[in-house]
Amino acid sequence: MAAKNHRQWTAEPKLQPSEWVDSRIYSDARIFEEEQEKIFKRTWIPVCHESELSNAYDFRTTSIAREPIIVCRGPDNEVRAFLNVCPHRGMIIERRPAGSFLEGQPSGNPKRMTCMFHAWQYDMRGNCVYISREKEGFQDRLCKEEVGLRRLRCEVKFGGFIWVNLDDNPQVSLEDWAGPAFACLRKSLEAEPLEVFHYHKAIVNSNYKLWHDTNCEFYHDFMHYHNRVTGFNDAYFARKNQAFEHGHVVVGTFEVNYEKYEGFESRAALSFPHLPPNQWYMIDLFPGMNFNLRGSALRCDIVTPLAPDKVMIEFRGLGLKSDTVQDRQTRINHHNSIWGPFGRNLHEDLLGVQGQGTTMLPGSEPRRILHGRHENQTIHDENGMRHYYAEWGRWMNRKPSRPEEPFSEAMSVAAE
Amino acid sequence: MDPYALVRDTIYRSTLFLDRQDWTRWLAECDDAFQYAIRAWSPEINKDVTYLWLDRNGLVNLVKLLPKHNTDHSPLTRHTSVYTIDVDENGQNAKAVSSVIVYQNMLDGINSHIDAGESRLFLVGKYNDTFKIEDDRARFLSRELRIENRRLDKGSHWPI
Repeated sequence: MAAKNHRQWTAEPKLQPSEWVDSRIYSDARIFEEEQEKIFKRTWIPVCHESELSNAYDFRTTSIAREPIIVCRGPDNEVRAFLNVCPHRGMIIERRPAGSFLEGQPSGNPKRMTCMFHAWQYDMRGNCVYISREKEGFQDRLCKEEVGLRRLRCEVKFGGFIWVNLDDNPQVSLEDWAGPAFACLRKSLEAEPLEVFHYHKAIVNSNYKLWHDTNCEFYHDFMHYHNRVTGFNDAYFARKNQAFEHGHVVVGTFEVNYEKYEGFESRAALSFPHLPPNQWYMIDLFPGMNFNLRGSALRCDIVTPLAPDKVMIEFRGLGLKSDTVQDRQTRINHHNSIWGPFGRNLHEDLLGVQGQGTTMLPGSEPRRILHGRHENQTIHDENGMRHYYAEWGRWMNRKPSRPEEPFSEAMSVAAE
Repeated sequence: MDPYALVRDTIYRSTLFLDRQDWTRWLAECDDAFQYAIRAWSPEINKDVTYLWLDRNGLVNLVKLLPKHNTDHSPLTRHTSVYTIDVDENGQNAKAVSSVIVYQNMLDGINSHIDAGESRLFLVGKYNDTFKIEDDRARFLSRELRIENRRLDKGSHWPI
């Protein structure tokens, strides 16, 4: 068919309803708010890596669904998470992105989380241990034992990542949530301690799900010159997209020919433990976290949705804690030549997701975004996105293709 | 010739070449042993991070393959101010520290209808350069661009 008129352009495609989504799920403010409540406040989110809090009293701040969070390592070596909110007047307790409580602060003592506003102090277990002029102000009506911090579910798992859940009673344990999806890499990620060597962030005008789509569909490798020349062969096209319970997808591995990109080198000498040379695995977790291992370097993307059309993506790169200085430098180069902010692929991916965001602004006409490729669940099959949006539909009780209608399990099964 | 002037002129001339994306003439200012890096201190992970590190051959390959890549073509404009130059006693080597601010002049990176023609702050940092001085020329031996930014949004394919 030639170019279409408006009715034809907005008509439903001749595909199963699970093979497209309505673009309003990327732009509607009400849907976005619902996602914060129904999904992000109830799922396990990796917020940072244990190597970012390597010593007792180290801390790291973050947020999930607009709730400020602090993660700290206690003198007992336990990592705990709390809302980063003082129960007194609602002040954010720690303003820095990271640091150590071993140093005293202008309003408080060493080894304490201190709210600078009125000098209330908390220990690493979240107990309030000091209220300034407690008796004078509160007499016996309120005491420090009654005003501890809000503790959060927190676990260190899957290669040392720190996971937080705002829900005190998660529907499933973290192990059940993500364990099966991590099975392909667990031996490699847990053979020895990992360490973060790279951090940067991007804020782009696009919906967070579109970034996750980019990470879990490889059909867009046509955009990447690097991936075409180092990848497109029979083994690449045979890679499988494997769906797991809870909306996760794992993209299977193959051997990448890095030398085919001029100036690049094999990564075989620095493969993660238990991996054959130059393998490339991708684990995409619902609702938008990504673990991407290209032989010698692990990348982790964590999304923080900011608005229907705005997302912050934090990028981390990890190697082995035992790396020599030289090996670490090589690993960093392997990571950044492709995935760094000045690397060959990440810039292209971010242009792609930004371009989608530009056409799906709040108030843009609803359009059908196609997820309909079937290639025996191999690399350019779009079953990963279909699997993701079926899970999204369950959590939101909305049909991704008709978001004003309740989700129906039948539609997700029909397409596969 | 005054070695301080040679170093200063090389830094400013190379800024113009970089702004014009005249990679060939920029690389002609660099010695065969040239090393290039973009680094930052990340308080988030309490580490120095290297965002790009290449030798001269690596840079030659990088710029050669640029036409093969999909790129944000918004031109970059660098405002460079040379702060200090130290020349060693024999006059053969020098170090320089320059402030650099990089603006992105929007073209096709987001929505050209709205953004094209607007200039946005992209990077803030310092050039830490070393030079070899011979035959009345100062050539770059190394350049470390140390940026303050860790929020880099779409990033860039280009040497900065």
